[in-house]
Parts: sequence; structure tokens; C-alpha cells
Amino acid sequence: MIKVETKDNTNKSGIMRYIKRYWQLYVLLLVPLVYFAVFKYSPMYYVLIAFKKYSIVQSVSEMPWAKNHGFEYFIKAFQNKDFIYALRNTIFLNLLDIIVGFPVPIIFALLLNELRLKFFKKTVQTIAYMPHFLSWVIIYGLALQLFTPSSGLINMVIQKMGFEPIHFLEDGSNWVKTYIGLGIWQSFGWNSIIYLAAISGISPELYEAASVDGATRWQKMWHITLPGIRPTIVVLLILALGNVLGSNFDRPFALQNNLVMQNAEVISTFVYKYGIKALQFSLTTAVGLFQSIVNVIFLLLANWFSRKMGERGIM
Amino acid sequence: MKKRIMSFILAGIMVISTAACGNKPAAEPTGTGVPDQTQPVTQDTYEGDGTEIEGGSSEELVDGKFTETRHITVEVYDRGNDGGSDPTNNMYTDYIKKGMLADHNVEVEFVAVPRWTEVDEINNLLAAGTAPDICLTYSYPTIQTYADMGGVIDLQNLVVDNKNDLPHLWDWLGTTNMYWDKSVTDGTLWALEGKRANNNRIVTFVRKDWLDKLELAEPTTTEEFYNMLVAFKDNAATLLGGDADKMVPFSCSVDVGWRAALLIESKMDPNISDKEFYVNGFDDRKLTENGTKEAIKILNQWYNEGLMWDEFVLHDGDTVEDDNMKAGYVGAFMHNWDYPFRGGEDSIQANLKRLVGDDAKYVAVDCFEASNGEYIKYCDSTAGDRKIFFPTTNDEPLASLLYLDWISDPVHIEYLQCGDEGVTHTKNADGSYSFMAATGEAIMNSGQNIDMTITCNGLHLSTDELTSKSLNNNYPPCDPEDVDKANKVANSGKRPTKNSKITSIEAETGMGEALNAKRNIIYDTCMSCKPEEFDAKWDELMADYLTAGGQAIIDERTSAWEALYGDKVTLE
Repeated sequence: MIKVETKDNTNKSGIMRYIKRYWQLYVLLLVPLVYFAVFKYSPMYYVLIAFKKYSIVQSVSEMPWAKNHGFEYFIKAFQNKDFIYALRNTIFLNLLDIIVGFPVPIIFALLLNELRLKFFKKTVQTIAYMPHFLSWVIIYGLALQLFTPSSGLINMVIQKMGFEPIHFLEDGSNWVKTYIGLGIWQSFGWNSIIYLAAISGISPELYEAASVDGATRWQKMWHITLPGIRPTIVVLLILALGNVLGSNFDRPFALQNNLVMQNAEVISTFVYKYGIKALQFSLTTAVGLFQSIVNVIFLLLANWFSRKMGERGIM
Repeated sequence: MKKRIMSFILAGIMVISTAACGNKPAAEPTGTGVPDQTQPVTQDTYEGDGTEIEGGSSEELVDGKFTETRHITVEVYDRGNDGGSDPTNNMYTDYIKKGMLADHNVEVEFVAVPRWTEVDEINNLLAAGTAPDICLTYSYPTIQTYADMGGVIDLQNLVVDNKNDLPHLWDWLGTTNMYWDKSVTDGTLWALEGKRANNNRIVTFVRKDWLDKLELAEPTTTEEFYNMLVAFKDNAATLLGGDADKMVPFSCSVDVGWRAALLIESKMDPNISDKEFYVNGFDDRKLTENGTKEAIKILNQWYNEGLMWDEFVLHDGDTVEDDNMKAGYVGAFMHNWDYPFRGGEDSIQANLKRLVGDDAKYVAVDCFEASNGEYIKYCDSTAGDRKIFFPTTNDEPLASLLYLDWISDPVHIEYLQCGDEGVTHTKNADGSYSFMAATGEAIMNSGQNIDMTITCNGLHLSTDELTSKSLNNNYPPCDPEDVDKANKVANSGKRPTKNSKITSIEAETGMGEALNAKRNIIYDTCMSCKPEEFDAKWDELMADYLTAGGQAIIDERTSAWEALYGDKVTLE
């Protein structure tokens, strides 16, 4: 503070000069700032709906407060068995996604990195990330062609071999496996791109030095490549953990059916069913707010944990 | 310099755009178009059918016409038919537009709303304040929800004050349909009920050619129906040859409560009281009725014996089931009484004939007997179909009512349903209409053009005889005799719903969608689970349904009934 005061004069003219020189850049910066203000921050005002009795014809400030000091709808949500199911399923499916799905792109990137034939490598990579561009509705259509009990291709093969058809899509536990499997299939190629980029950033000198020391390919992978992409892995893991209560809508919505709802209803589809279709806007805003808050907590915890472990974290 | 000018322009744009965002007013109750509701509720005008209601007429009209041209928007369903006409601009909309302009000096504009997502869509439009002036929906709870939020115009004074200007509307709908939704407690009237000219509901269809091939008679009891299904399955190779593994003896969709309704209803107590019927009537798929569990148990048995379609749950909302019927794999199904005849050349019946053979067809049978031996068809009253309401954003309630009056004129209904001679119909010697497949602008996107005649669902011509004769000719190229048979089966043993006059049950508000979804899950799960799990699954899921809101509705309905009728359990 003292230093600043003594240098006040020079600083002031410095700032003026700086502004004079670069003000155009700040004006340009206004564009994204305004975007965030208008589309990301000002809508947050409407989370108040979670604490109010929603009315279509009143503005948010005019709506009366909900009962129980505004927490009526949070209490209602937690008394609703469907919400508890949705909460449980969201966490369960997302954790499974992380446990089963998170290592897959890493392993894939490591394997791909070991390939020497450039053409083959590129082809495999392209084929692997193609499914990322398919919408879940299309993927469900594909799944129907493959997995239905009597007319699906896979079940026809199974039946031809003399076994009972497997109910991939209509049995709760099988559905979870199909859901996770399809998720991995759709995303592992795409997610591996960032690891491949990180791998290409590792200095080739390290590999050369290791070769000189007589390291095997396995040792190079384990001791050079993997530690080299560790910061990337940690950042992505933090982001994944931060989203453990988040859920995208189209994947569960496209895949679920009436026989597996106990395993397949997640928060996003619950919000759609109760909020948009059944008009309980306050209840579902409360659920959405709860979801966001828990997500932020998870994110902060994961970040704190990664710093404790000596990694950089994201904040 | 250039850079500076660009920056100024950019900054200027930003300032203007943020200002524009800031100025956008939040949704406020404007009250525009809401009629003056300060007049006291005239309870005594409501007496039900047969009572003369003194009505007035509007001073805004000269010879039934506005002096200045008014403009209204009207919802019309968009069914997205392959090769259909533009729902907002075709031969029939032109007829209405011209007629309304000539007779009332009102300009009409149609707004398309997708039929199969109509409730979601109308919700979005209402929430955005851009709903058409005349809205219709099949879902009364949706209207009630918006009415509770102040988003719907109360029609009770409007229809009485302008009664003399609305002769056709009153004639056609009668007090039954006009006042069906009128609240007994406060007299509010949020919606008018479009009238069913035909309240046929569900019929069972079986493959006549399969019966003939196996030398079976048409089933007349549930047991015979079951034996028939078993016979179909056992003789799949005879009936379908190489496609034997594709056979579905009895097809049902995820909507079991509809697609097995006759079986479910046959297990109800035939002497059910009006009170019990009302109390459980909130679920139109009869989930909480006394015999439903037994019926679903039968379905569960059929399902596990391989008599039903094992992929039903995966095809919610697509056309695979219909395609199975068209391809000739399906032995029997229950559906709307005219379902296999709908769609002209693309109807199930026409496809079957083309793809399988001339003798291949579905015929209607009547085979689900109640415990007293009757073949009861619980059906709707003339009300309970589409509900017409005006959102508060409607600035032209009178012009909108005149619209409803205009399309309720029997002459106009007849034209909208029959079209032009030589284009959509030919006249028979007995005066009845024979309908023909239309092309281009003259295509009706809905059966009997019901999307155009929103106050009338079903063929309604000048005389009943003409109507029934013409009805059978209404499904070219299907055989009129098959249609006639389905119509007769649908009409035998009809039991229309009575009006309990209780319009608002608070426990139902906002619960419809969630409970319907749960009900379908119960039906689907219990129909397809293993037989030994049936009881446990049913009890568990039913308990969940009841705690999630079902019981609250039953309780409120019971107490609402008792408040209004005391110990009485029968309606007049």
C-alpha cells in the first residue's frame, strides 16, 4: 500500500497511457462480458422462483413467497420418492460413468500413441471419435436395431446359438450396463483427443534419454507418458467430479423406457416430467438449484483435494 | 482512425442491445381482454339441460357483423401427416375465413399446434403469452392450472350475455356441453366442451382370415378370445409361413390401459355406483378400479405364454406396431373403434389387403363379458372431448365466440366434413355421402375433418340416418360393412359417463402427467414381469402411486362428492 502511494503520480500517468493505448481492446472485451451478463448472470435472478409460489401472470418480484420461509418446494422435493430415486440414479450413473468410462480414453490415447503406422493411427482415431457427432436419438435407433429381444441383430445371433435372448434395454441392471457402454462408445474417441494433444507436448528428449538408458516401451509409457499427462488427467477428473450431480438430458431421455424407470429416471428427466410437462415450475427450479449447489460443492472439494495432492487444480 | 470508428460502433451496439434487454418488461398481469367480472355470479341461471336461459345480445354487432374488421387467431392441430394439406391453409380454412369475414366481419388466422405434443405445446404458448385467441386441448387440468394462475377468460357471462348472437353454438352444444365445466361453487366457466357426435370408444379387432383358415368362430367370451390367441400361436407356421417367428397373437402398446381397456373394464363391478365411478374416474385408464389387478394378471399370463408383443415397451411413439399390423403379423388388438379403417389407402385394412391378400382383414368382435354377462362399453358423454378456452391474451372474446357459433352451424359442419361433390365425395341414390380420397388442398388432415370442426367431433349431418349411412362410406377403400360392424359393436352396451358437476379437485392440479406416467409404468411392468413377481410388483407400485398423489385425489374426490351429494351414491 505504501509503495503505491509513493509511486502514485507515475502510476497514474502510466494507467492513463495504458488506457489510451489499449482502450479498444477493452471495448472489444465488452462483447463477451455483456454476453455473460445478459445470458448467464441476469437469468440467475429467476432462481428466486424456487422460493416463491409460481404464477404465470406475475413477475418474479410479485410472486408470493412459498411456505416454510420459502423452502416449501425444497421440502416437497425431498419428500417426493421420485426425486429421491432420480437423485440416487443420477449419482449412481454418473459415478459409474467416471469409474468405468474415465480411464477408457486415457488407455485409448496411450495405445494410439504407441502405434507407428501413421495412416492406421489416424484412421482408428477418426473412426473412434465419429460417434461423438451422433445425437442420442440416433444412437437409440441403432440400439433398437441391435438389442431388441426378438428382432435385434445381437439377440438374433444369441438365439441362433441356442441361448435365451438378453433384455438389454428392458431389464433394470442390463439397462444400466447398456447405458454406460453406449456412453463410453459414444465419447471415448472424442475425449482421447485432449490426451493425445497432451502427449504430443511431452519432450521427445525424455524418450531418447530413456532409450539410451535401455528402457522398454512399457517403462517409457509408465514413467514418461503417463506422468506427462497427469495434470491433464487431474483437471478432467475434477471437471467430471464437479458434474457428478449434473446430468445431460438427451442421453437418459432417449434411452429410458417404462420398464426401467426405477434405474433410469435422473434429475434432468425428472425436472422435465414434473416441471415442463406437469407445470410445477417452483418445485423443479428448487431441484435445479439444489443440483447446481451440490455440483459447485463437489467441484470445490475435488479442486481442494487435487491441490492437497500437489496438483495445480483449476482455480 | 478506422479502428476507432469500429470500436465506437461496437460499443454503441452493445449499449443499445443491453438497454433493449433491460427495457423488456417482465410478464405482468395486464388484464387486457378480460371481460368485466364485477357482475355477481348468477347461480340460478344454472339448472342443467332443458332450462331456458335468458340471454342477451351484443351492441357491438350490427346484423351480426362488427362494424370494423376484427382479427382472431385459432389453434388448429398439425398432425404432420405424410402428404396431408397445410393445416393452416387449405380448402376448408379458406371456406371458414371467407365465411367469417362475410358473416361477421372477422378475419381468421390459423395457428398450427403439433397434435401429438399438444399439451406441451399449448403450455409453452400460454407461458410465453403467445397462445392463439381460441385454444383447444384434450387436457382440462392444463386449463385449470392456467385458470388458477389467472391466464384464462371466464366465459360464464360472455356466453349468456351474447346468447342471442350465438344460436348455433347453444343449439349444438346444449347446456350439457356449454356448462359441463361450470363450477358449482363459484360459477366460473373456463372452457366449453366440444361435442362428440359419436362417442364410440374401443373395439376389439381380430384377423378374420386367420379365423377362417383355422376354422374358428369369432370369439364371444374372454376364454374364447384366449383360446383363439393360443390357436394363432400354435399355428403360426400355417398362418405366416417363413415369418412365423414374427407373429404377435395379441398386440398392445405401452398404453396398456387403453389398448386392453375392454378386458380391464370387463373385470369391473358392473353394478358400480356413480359415486365409486366418479371417485376413481380421475384415471381414464381405470387403474384404481376394483377389478383392474385381476385383468392385468390375465394379461401377465398371456404375456408370459408368448401371446403378446415382447417389444412393446421399446416402441413408445413410433409406428412399428402399426407396421406389424399392416404387414399381417398381428392376430388381434384393441383400439379406437375405427382405427384399422383410418387413413384411406394407408389404413391398416387397406395395407393388409394389398400386402397379404384379398381376404385378409380385421373384423370387430365383442368378447369381453362382465360378471353379469353384459358387454359393457364405458364411454364418454357427449362432453369430455376437446375443451375450448380463451387465454387472457385474447382481446376479441366476442369475435371468438362468433367463430365458435359459425362452425357449429349444421350447414357449415356438413360442408367441412363432406367437402365438394366430385372432389371429396359422391352422392349415393339414397342421399348418403360416399367419401373418396381427396388430393391436394382438399385433403382432410383428420378423420371427418374434426380439426376444423372444433365444436364437433364425429360425423354430424342433417339427419341421423344420413349420418350413419354416410359414416360407413367414410373410410374408402375399406368395406362399408366392416365399418358398420365395428360401429355396431362399439355402440352395444354403451354406458356414458355422467356429469358429477364437481369440476375442480385441487389434488389433481399439476399431478396428471406425473400420475399418468406412473400408471403406465405400473401397467407395463406388471403385464411383462414374471408371473411369480406379479403380486409383489403390483402392490409395491400401487402403494407408490397412491402415496405420490393418487390417494389424495381419491380422498378429495370422496369428500367433494359427499359435500355435494351427502349419502347419495347415484346421479340422476
